[in-house]
Amino acid sequence: MGFLTILKKLRQKEKEMRILMLGLDNAGKTTILKRFNGEPIDTISPTLGFNIKTLEHRGYKLNIWDVGGQKSLRSYWKNYFESTDGVAWVVDSADARRLWDCARELHSLLREERLAGATLLVLANKSDLPGALTLQEIREALDLDSIKTHHWRIVRCSAVTGENLLEGMDWMLDDIASRIFTLD
Amino acid sequence: MSVAIKATFWVVSFGTLGYALFKLVKPNDELLKQFDEGSKFTDARRVSHQTVDVLKEAAKPDSDLKRLSRRDAQRLEKLQKAHKAREEVDASNENEDYFSGSFKIKSEYIEDLLMQVPTLELNVLPSHFDSIKREVNELQKYVVTSSFFLKEFNMRKYLGIVQNLQTKCYELEERYVPRKKFGFSKKKIPKSHTEKQGSLDENDSARKTDNKWDEKLFGFDSQKDKVLVLENDDLFQRDVALRNLTNCTVGLKGVMGTLHLTNLENCVVLSGPVTSSVFMEKCINCKIVTACQQLRMHSSSNCDIYLHVTSKGIVEDCTAICTAPYNLYYEDLEKHFNMSGLDRNSNNWDRLDDFNWLAPDIPSPNWSVLNAELRNKSWDEWWSRIPS
Repeated sequence: MGFLTILKKLRQKEKEMRILMLGLDNAGKTTILKRFNGEPIDTISPTLGFNIKTLEHRGYKLNIWDVGGQKSLRSYWKNYFESTDGVAWVVDSADARRLWDCARELHSLLREERLAGATLLVLANKSDLPGALTLQEIREALDLDSIKTHHWRIVRCSAVTGENLLEGMDWMLDDIASRIFTLD
Repeated sequence: MSVAIKATFWVVSFGTLGYALFKLVKPNDELLKQFDEGSKFTDARRVSHQTVDVLKEAAKPDSDLKRLSRRDAQRLEKLQKAHKAREEVDASNENEDYFSGSFKIKSEYIEDLLMQVPTLELNVLPSHFDSIKREVNELQKYVVTSSFFLKEFNMRKYLGIVQNLQTKCYELEERYVPRKKFGFSKKKIPKSHTEKQGSLDENDSARKTDNKWDEKLFGFDSQKDKVLVLENDDLFQRDVALRNLTNCTVGLKGVMGTLHLTNLENCVVLSGPVTSSVFMEKCINCKIVTACQQLRMHSSSNCDIYLHVTSKGIVEDCTAICTAPYNLYYEDLEKHFNMSGLDRNSNNWDRLDDFNWLAPDIPSPNWSVLNAELRNKSWDEWWSRIPS
């Protein structure tokens, strides 16, 4: 009996994924995380530190790490890189002013050795706002087409309405799964 | 149910297996007994022989055994001494209070040494700088070796101080003991020229991207000595930006989606409720009256914020920020609050998080609550007045 439970646990461990959520401050990382987890999103403060949530989705166990994006916290991001399967890069689509900053941070992140091979999902958040940029504009501003080192996709979404969040996450799960899990 | 069945299955199958094995290879009792007898006798004899040998050996002066036991005693004594010494040192100097005290003494000593620099003769200066550098190095070593009991935040702080001392030392050295210029002077000129051009290009491209998004911006840019007012019809749920304003009063009588304040100097901003967040960057000597869900302040100083914030506000790289509760009034304010969905009853104006001050037990020196007597009671006259 004990042997069987050990086997079962091992298999569960295999189905675990570690996802890192990063982006500039006010991009909506915590809001997205709370939306996934079904928690209220109207009392979220700027993240001082990080949040971790463990979710079950489509039989996978997702450990989602949401790390604060404030300038003074960005130097701590590297502490979370180890054994990351996927990076969700959250962009504030309405914040055209800082897209330049955003692009710079993203590209310096992708040069990180410990994130090599991680799947990149760019979430163009707040797309429901009137001043939001289009997907094409963000794609150009972030220079996504120059990324050859990672599997990536950009998805237009909104944490407030929940639009496209699951679709984006599902793509990331499929991509990670096809890479790290052998066929069952 | 299934557990019970599985359990009985295993018990029965293991039981049968064990019994079968026992039956199959039953040991021969007689034979075992014989073995026992034989071994008992030989064992006893061997042991007695060995004891006699050891005794004989011990009786000899200078025997190995004696030497060994003497050495053992010495070793024990040494260990005890070391242990005692370690206890005397104990952990009293491995806590943060002790550390910060001695760190302060040492850093002040270095500061003193640096202060002496201008008064010293030129010929003793090099050795003086050498000793300062040595002190700084030692201090740095001290911080690093104490890393195991320092919190990461404090560790950074102390290292920052050491870094400061170091740069100060180098600056002074540069000024008072200038090294001989070492030059590839001929080559240097064209190189710096091209570099400059390169950086100019970069700036240009950055400006271009800025310009590209500028059409999307809504608000005020580059104004001086003006009163600027926008009404709800223009503002409603938009992303509003105020940039590069000096000596201006800005009235925003409406509900906004986001509010960005960048590079304001000596301005008064009176704003209605903002549904999501307010951003402030590089604001100096301003009075901001605003209501929002989140407030983020970066690189600002000397600002008074009359704030209604439903979740939390943060400051980063700011100094001399004062907060007070939101006390703006205009005719449709109540209506606008309802439209924005902000909760009038939850206001955390006096609980800002400072991202440069992570020590939870000591309040941040970068912001404080504005003294009640110093607060502006009414903003009515400010709607039409330019800040002096």
